[in-house]
Amino acid sequence: MEDISLQSRIDVLSEQQVLIQDSAVAFIGEDEELKKARASRFVQPGFDQNTWQEMAELGWLGFLIPEQFGGIGLGFDDLHTVLIQLGKGLVPAPFVATAVIAATVLVNGDNEAVKKDRLPALVAGEWKPALAWQEARGSMSVKAEQVSVVDGKLSGKKIFVPDAGGADDFIVSAASAEGTELYLVNKDATGLSIDYEQRVDGGFYGQLSFDQVAVGDKVASVALAEQILAAALDTGRVAASAELLGVMTRALEITVDYTTQRVQFDKPIGSFQALQHKMVDLFILSEISRSVVLQTIGLFDGEVSAEGRAVAASQVKARCSDAALQITKSAIQLHGGIGYTDEANIGLYFKKAMYLASWLGNAAAHRARYAELTL
Amino acid sequence: MTNLQASNEYNAMEDDEFRAMVHDWYVENYPDELRFPPNRMHWDQVGDWYLTLAKKGWLTPAWPAEYGGMGLDANKLLIFMDVGETYGVGRTPDMGITMVGPLLIQHGSQEQKEHYLPKILAGENIWCQGYSEPGSGSDLASLQTSAVRDGDHYIVNGHKTWTTLAMDANMIFMLVRTNKDGKKQEGITFLLVPLDTPGITVRPIVNLGMHDEFAEVFFDDVKVPVASVVGGENNGWTIAKALLGHERIFIGSPKFAILAMSRLKSMAKSVGLFKDPLFVERYTRLQLDIEDLFAAYKRFVEVLKRGGNIGPEVSMLKVWNTETQQRVTELMMEAASEHGGIQDGIDTVDGVVRAAGEFIASRPTTIYGGSNEIQRNILAKAVLRLPS
Repeated sequence: MEDISLQSRIDVLSEQQVLIQDSAVAFIGEDEELKKARASRFVQPGFDQNTWQEMAELGWLGFLIPEQFGGIGLGFDDLHTVLIQLGKGLVPAPFVATAVIAATVLVNGDNEAVKKDRLPALVAGEWKPALAWQEARGSMSVKAEQVSVVDGKLSGKKIFVPDAGGADDFIVSAASAEGTELYLVNKDATGLSIDYEQRVDGGFYGQLSFDQVAVGDKVASVALAEQILAAALDTGRVAASAELLGVMTRALEITVDYTTQRVQFDKPIGSFQALQHKMVDLFILSEISRSVVLQTIGLFDGEVSAEGRAVAASQVKARCSDAALQITKSAIQLHGGIGYTDEANIGLYFKKAMYLASWLGNAAAHRARYAELTL
Repeated sequence: MTNLQASNEYNAMEDDEFRAMVHDWYVENYPDELRFPPNRMHWDQVGDWYLTLAKKGWLTPAWPAEYGGMGLDANKLLIFMDVGETYGVGRTPDMGITMVGPLLIQHGSQEQKEHYLPKILAGENIWCQGYSEPGSGSDLASLQTSAVRDGDHYIVNGHKTWTTLAMDANMIFMLVRTNKDGKKQEGITFLLVPLDTPGITVRPIVNLGMHDEFAEVFFDDVKVPVASVVGGENNGWTIAKALLGHERIFIGSPKFAILAMSRLKSMAKSVGLFKDPLFVERYTRLQLDIEDLFAAYKRFVEVLKRGGNIGPEVSMLKVWNTETQQRVTELMMEAASEHGGIQDGIDTVDGVVRAAGEFIASRPTTIYGGSNEIQRNILAKAVLRLPS
């Protein structure tokens, strides 16, 4: 499908970015009809294990992991080209949750033995951690309160753990007497029970209930845990925004293509000004989003304070969440009746946007955080 | 210090340092009574400021240093603009600065550059634009003002309108019809004409802000030397399109939205609106609409800085910017309560805020420079390639 973004008109990519983008375009090209995305919907673990393995073989799982731990240690500058394609191809894999957020937590932790032991396995696709940090709906607080750790045993409940069904271990934030700490907990640990919530996109969130569960290795101590969590989640918000950008861009491409083909009143419906102006507005939204994504990844690859990162992450997540919902829901309207059927692929984009827009703080929540930090 | 040295020095400064320098200089040099002017100022009000800027070398921040500009990079240009808008620095008669200068730098002959650019920098030539006609608005290429060749002169007859600040200008760049046969775009020529040429009459038009900001210009057997043509006879449409690119990037710049936002902020502070969570949500939404426009604008300015050309996609900036600005003034109107219906403004810690005036003044932004409907048509055809 033709790329209608302004990338080729106004942006300049490095040679390396072009190579990485090309391989990502080829990767999603293999499932252009979205058969894998469809097949993994509504069945555990909610994503495609083979796809995960293929991503490992391409080296993508080690994007943000330093070379000493088996990764390739690149920045957002290169990674975002992959994230956009993952969104365009609706690739059924918990890339942001695991290879971005969980990986970033581990890399920044203060247990060197855990890094040496686990990170190479993550990069190889042999081991999948999932981060269990959230304790309340709509919360962005990284201070653990509900889940506590006493004498090495965890109690309490974590919610909205993405793709928990495919994880081998969880990284759990817990309140000790001193403050928040991060621990690894095995998925099969005694006393841990998992309830699953079906997401609209076909994946699952896990709710983890801990009843005197023995902790595994410590990932981060009190001195670091909250700041590591905050940084990893903001990194994840930027990554999810890049994926949303891919989702909205492809949804618009599909819609432009459809309205160019679809004939009514003896003309392609895309020739009608009412529809053209609507699609132009969606296009503007997508390019405003792209501009903010590009600005934010530059900021995250450079030196910036924790507060600066939070402000920027909220700015980009607010924009991309809003724009992706606006574009995909309008795409349904522009398709007409066929857009409301499960067999048309446009609906898959709509539902992916619904998931990603609401995960890690929706647009309203991020505008509120932005206001709190800047007003 | 040469311009090039100054330019390098500015671009090498830390952002905060540069911001502080520009701000301090405005505080010292910009007349207090001209801060946040309610209307476009006429030359008798703002002429001294134009010359002050010229003397400092800050009149043309986006021009390259070798032509006497500040040669700022994209980032510094945005800071420069932001500081000015936030401090309430009024707009000068800037058609020469934003339109004619960049056009001649890119497309003008050596003689034209040498003749006209220094006169803009010195404040000797103040330009206005003669494009629209009573019968040619959105369909600009249908223009009828004619130029008939008579030896080494043209005889120009016709009627231009919406000519901003024509009463203060001494030069007009204009489009005239030199050929009535064939495609309408191919019979248009671009002319540079002194406004004191016999046969030219300027009649001011009062706008909804009760201000004579624009004018009509009548041409009655006006003799213009053939040497005043830019880009060759019947090539005017190409030149005009290149200029429109400059105009659209200028109209797409966030400066007007920033200005409106800073007025809203002053008012909100004075009235205590930041205690209202509903207001804060709406205010933040607008603030982010502007911040995100900044990101997009920088992306486009980078293209120019690389020496690239900006195509029809720049229309997106104009649409986003002007509609954001209007939404800001709409919130201002709402927040102003009864003041939304009166000509005078509300006194704030940061000067007077004229909610009604801002609301009125933001109306034409979606009309001028190609209405937003026309911009959307351009994007649909030239960028999304939707069928006809």
